[in-house]
Amino acid sequence: MRPAEVWKEEASITQEETPMTQEMLRDLEKKLSEMEIPTPADPLTFPKDTIDISMLPPSYKTNTPKEELMLQVADNFSRQYSHLCPDRMPLFLHPLNECEVPKFVSTTIRPTLMPYPDLYNWDSCAQFVSDFLTMVPLPDPLKPPDHLYSSTTVLKCQKGNCFDFSTLLCSMLIGSGYDAYCVNGYGSWDLCHMDLTREVCPLTVKPKEKVKKEEKPPPKKYAIKPPRDLTSRFEQEQEAKRQEEIRAHEEKLRREAEERLLEASKMKPDPLHGLRVHSWVLVLSGKREVPETFFIDALSGRSYSTQDDHFLGIESLWNHKNYWVNMQDCWNYCKDLVFDLGDPVRWEYMLLGTDKPYLSLTEEDDDDLNDEDDVEALGKEDEDKSFDMPPSWVQQIEITPEEFETRCPKGKKVLHYQRAQLEKWAPYLNPNGLVCRLTTYEDLECTKELEIKEWYQNRGDMLELRHINKSTGLIIDYFKPGHPQALRVHTYKSMEPEMDRVMEFYEVARVDGLKKREETPNTMTEYYQGRPDFLAYRHIIFGPRVKKLPGNSTDSNPRPPVKITERFYRNPEKPADDDVAERVFLTTEERIQLRYHCRSDHITANKREFLRRTEVDSKGNKIIMTPDMCISFEVEPMEHTKKLLYQYETMMQLKNEEKLSKHQAWESELEVLEILKLLQEEEEAHTLTISIYDTKRNEKSKEYREAMERVMHEEHLRQMETQLDYLAPFLAQLPPGEKLTRWQAMRLKEECLSDFKQRLIDKANLIQARFEKETQELQKKQQWYQENQVALSPEDEDLYLSYCSQAMFRIRILEQRLNRHKELAPLKYLALEEKLHKDPRLAELLKVFG
Amino acid sequence: MNRMYGSMEPRVMDDDMLKVAVGEQGPRDEAGQLAKQEGILFKDVLSLQLDFQNILRIDNLWQFENLRKLQLDNNIIERIEGLENLIHLVWLDLSFNNIEAIEGLDTLVNLEDLSLFNNRISKIDSLDALVKLQVLSLGNNQIGNMMNLIYLRKFKCLRTLSLSGNPIAEAEDYKMFIYAYLPDLVYLDFRRIDEHAKELAEMKNQYSIDELKHRENLMQIRQEEEQARRMKLEEHKMAFVEHLDGSYLFDSMYVEDVEGSKLSYLPGVGELLEAYKDKFVIICLNIFEYGLKQQEKRKAELDTFNECIHEAIQENQEQGRLKIAKFEEEHLMNLNTIQEETDLLNIEKMIMECSEDITELFNVLMTLEMQLVEQLEEAINMFERNIIDLVGLFIENVQSLMAQCRDLENHHHEKLLEIAINTLEKTAKGELDEDLPEDVRALFVDKDTIVNAVGASHDIHLLKIDNREDELVTRANSWCTHLVDKIHRDEVMRNRKRVKEINQYIDHMQSELDNLECGDPID
Repeated sequence: MRPAEVWKEEASITQEETPMTQEMLRDLEKKLSEMEIPTPADPLTFPKDTIDISMLPPSYKTNTPKEELMLQVADNFSRQYSHLCPDRMPLFLHPLNECEVPKFVSTTIRPTLMPYPDLYNWDSCAQFVSDFLTMVPLPDPLKPPDHLYSSTTVLKCQKGNCFDFSTLLCSMLIGSGYDAYCVNGYGSWDLCHMDLTREVCPLTVKPKEKVKKEEKPPPKKYAIKPPRDLTSRFEQEQEAKRQEEIRAHEEKLRREAEERLLEASKMKPDPLHGLRVHSWVLVLSGKREVPETFFIDALSGRSYSTQDDHFLGIESLWNHKNYWVNMQDCWNYCKDLVFDLGDPVRWEYMLLGTDKPYLSLTEEDDDDLNDEDDVEALGKEDEDKSFDMPPSWVQQIEITPEEFETRCPKGKKVLHYQRAQLEKWAPYLNPNGLVCRLTTYEDLECTKELEIKEWYQNRGDMLELRHINKSTGLIIDYFKPGHPQALRVHTYKSMEPEMDRVMEFYEVARVDGLKKREETPNTMTEYYQGRPDFLAYRHIIFGPRVKKLPGNSTDSNPRPPVKITERFYRNPEKPADDDVAERVFLTTEERIQLRYHCRSDHITANKREFLRRTEVDSKGNKIIMTPDMCISFEVEPMEHTKKLLYQYETMMQLKNEEKLSKHQAWESELEVLEILKLLQEEEEAHTLTISIYDTKRNEKSKEYREAMERVMHEEHLRQMETQLDYLAPFLAQLPPGEKLTRWQAMRLKEECLSDFKQRLIDKANLIQARFEKETQELQKKQQWYQENQVALSPEDEDLYLSYCSQAMFRIRILEQRLNRHKELAPLKYLALEEKLHKDPRLAELLKVFG
Repeated sequence: MNRMYGSMEPRVMDDDMLKVAVGEQGPRDEAGQLAKQEGILFKDVLSLQLDFQNILRIDNLWQFENLRKLQLDNNIIERIEGLENLIHLVWLDLSFNNIEAIEGLDTLVNLEDLSLFNNRISKIDSLDALVKLQVLSLGNNQIGNMMNLIYLRKFKCLRTLSLSGNPIAEAEDYKMFIYAYLPDLVYLDFRRIDEHAKELAEMKNQYSIDELKHRENLMQIRQEEEQARRMKLEEHKMAFVEHLDGSYLFDSMYVEDVEGSKLSYLPGVGELLEAYKDKFVIICLNIFEYGLKQQEKRKAELDTFNECIHEAIQENQEQGRLKIAKFEEEHLMNLNTIQEETDLLNIEKMIMECSEDITELFNVLMTLEMQLVEQLEEAINMFERNIIDLVGLFIENVQSLMAQCRDLENHHHEKLLEIAINTLEKTAKGELDEDLPEDVRALFVDKDTIVNAVGASHDIHLLKIDNREDELVTRANSWCTHLVDKIHRDEVMRNRKRVKEINQYIDHMQSELDNLECGDPID
């Protein structure tokens, strides 16, 4: 029942109490005349002529007797209904279809299970319907449409109004086992116009982070008491108060801003609120493990709870088996409706005997039995109890794989949300593999872009998502596993090398276990995981580039590292105070600093610093190692480390490792350059990968398949040839049905052979004749040339020469063919004789005497 | 093999010889110069080669504590000796010597490669300690008994064996025998063992091998059982109730009790004794179970305590480390600025500041430590109280149970006395049964004798019970005192170590700063 009607009734009651004055009447009239029914600006309706009616099957154009009977029943029902409920809208029972034939709405639903596993669940089904069709508003927003086309036609046009949408979706849902119904009711402006601009885009909603409550274990028996707190309680309280005030202030500001925003986003009230006709889908709980009854708006493909504010009332609902009229009040929208279709007080059904979805055991008949008594009896007596719904007149709903993949009309769809715009493309439509783009805006008018998210598919470089932050200029690329350098995330501002960037990697896929590499203009930081040498971190500070020597031909001029810091995980095989935790190479100062791991019972760690100086002592001998070249601090002094020999060996080892680290730094730089080059190439080339299972797009497999087919075809032809019957023409001369005599057989063979011989001779003669003709012509031409040689222009001479060469070529070919024929002819003849000899039809007769 | 001593005199392994060898085999080039300059300590040497030195006796090697590889081949050594200290030895080469028996290797548990090639050994044994042995070379010796090879089965890591040139290698089934009995072997006499041949050999000797395996299994099971039993006893001892889970105590009361056993022949005493034993054993079992339960309780208490203490120390250390890390970061920055600074006055000031920072750090660290000490002391005291209470309760309860035992004994004693006097009366009346042994009958001469005998038996029993009780109480108490002492001692040790560590660190920092100070004017 319409919510507006309820108000009207209420109004009438109040009017009864206060007698209506002329003034009030006039006022009302004025108000009503002011009320404008906004007609949609762009009356998008079905272009009639695009539908080719002639191609449609007869079930579309005529009604079967059963359908006629159904229509009569419906008419009868409708008459009684309008008699009993004169103030309600006429029922939406049998609109015309595309062939102008009235069809009952339930028969328009054609339950179909789609052959795509993706379309088995309601959410993907609804998303598909909403993507696949373009919405056309109802011709009259206050009335259900006059026409309801079949789903096949709608699918062909990829266009439809909300009734078409929900009929199609309902067909698919019932087909995949849901307890779904089409609903004719009233919706809000947003719902009817598929206006999502006041909805938050589902993609922008961040999944709420689950606040992990860390359960503090109860303090153990001997847990130590915390040290006594000596700070002033009063001061703490004051501080807390101050903090609280600041927080409250911030909170207030925030709330105000929010309210302002809410105010701005609120639309002006709709004058036709509660009168706009809409159609959507109701899914009842029970089947397919649906725990709770809910609505699906087929236009947007979103699901709503039955309590949602957008749904303002229900007039009737139907599935492929029956039709129910809502007898409940909709004063509180759909919030109080009970979807117990087995309850005849709440839901008036049209056909008896078809299975009721519910047989409610707790029927509360008493409460409004009296006033609904007459309605309850309505249309029951004169109905044939065994009558059930005729089968659907609609043809099988079919969606081709191409259509399924393309989804949206022309493969593209744009959706507007609150401060966001969502664009969708079919895969392979864009050459760079872009399938989805979400643009978020700062303001409601969608002018200032905040960030852009682009989803890609089938990219050769495994790019999955690109996140562009417009305010900071930061670009973040996410890659799927499979990039040649195992790149996972790439954060950058520009593709130029030696700029700020962060690269994260799939460390398990890399030999060197690199997890992350951060770069700034003159530093590079690398994080490692799971390396056999326990390296965890390497930080390199680069110095300015050395000027290139003119004679230096190598094209790369790496920056010299000034400082390399490396950190290591604990190596469990070494004692902690012999396991280096951090080493720093100061290359310019020739200084190496080592810091060791801390032992579990210590708070300080060993340290060692090496200073390499190559000096010469007073006697001119080279100083190899002096105690002041190694300064060390040891928590527990060890004896062997005091030895110069030990220190010398350690230093030599470190020198080598420094070289290695420098090399590593250089290689890292190279790798960055390589990755950037690869990315750029990929960005320019856009190669999309094609799955080997994609038979349509995979060129290679297509070629292969076609080649196979060709081979098969040729094979077939060859077989046909081998089965060619030489005897057929001769056998045809004989009277049919008679058995061959020996004499006949002999004759047949003779004839066949002589015929073949004749053909061979003819062929030879033909080639000979042509050969001779060519030769003669050439001779003639040569003669003519000999005679006129002097008078010829250079062009004519050229012409002659080219003719000569061509003629010579032809003659040579003919000669070759003749020779070949001469060689092959006897062989062919013998082959035929042999074949005839073996022919089952002649063999018996010839064998005896042959 | 029978190399004569030749023209050269046998040499003694003296200090000089070792020094020369170490010097020759030490580092080369620049490192060598350094080594020469400093001298090499014997205990730093990892590998030593002493071949063709005409050594007769292994000696003077005790200083080479860290030696990994020792080559003593081609000498005239007659006994393996003097290697006890080289416990890190991995590789030992004693080939081409005159050794007659394998001995003196019991401490070399890390040995993996042992070569005794070309000696005079006739029996493989005394290798039990060498659990990691992988390569064993015993070629050109005088091993003649094939069964001796079964000894090698116990070396699970052994992969390479050479025995050629021994009398047994001439035997026909020598190889087959080894393949079959040492299935883990990979190389024999410098050749890889063919898998096929191995299978063949196994098949051939299957019966005897199976038997051997069965015996080995049995032995192992028995060992395991023994081990388990010992573990159990250990556990019971920890609970101070060993041997109380049966009639052991009761039986021990009667072991030394001559009179008691004599008296048991009296009519009616048998049943009495039976009943007495049952009751007594039940009480013993009670004590036993109670003891185990208490032990568990004590263990749980101790575990909680240790865990808490550990956590507290860890947390404290973490804090200390954080403080130091933060300090070091700042300190490093300060030092850098000082080095870049040119103005002497400024330098002076900044050094002062750094010095103050160091003092500050010292104070912070010491405060942390003192805090921990206080906290730990509190926890330790609480634990001490609890554990003493626990042990006290345990002892009390055991004592009451023991008192029950004593009551039983007293009761029994009375009954026995009654029977004895009855019997005496009967004897006096001459109504006694004839089947009493002679020595029992001797007791019934007069009342004093029999009362004394019964009394003596009773005394012995009581003594046994008292002894057991005393033992339990003393051990429980001493365990408790030891535990508490140890905890206190450990804590004190920890504290001293930490304070020392902090001081050392601060000293180092200070001296570093001072160095900078005095280094600066020179620069």
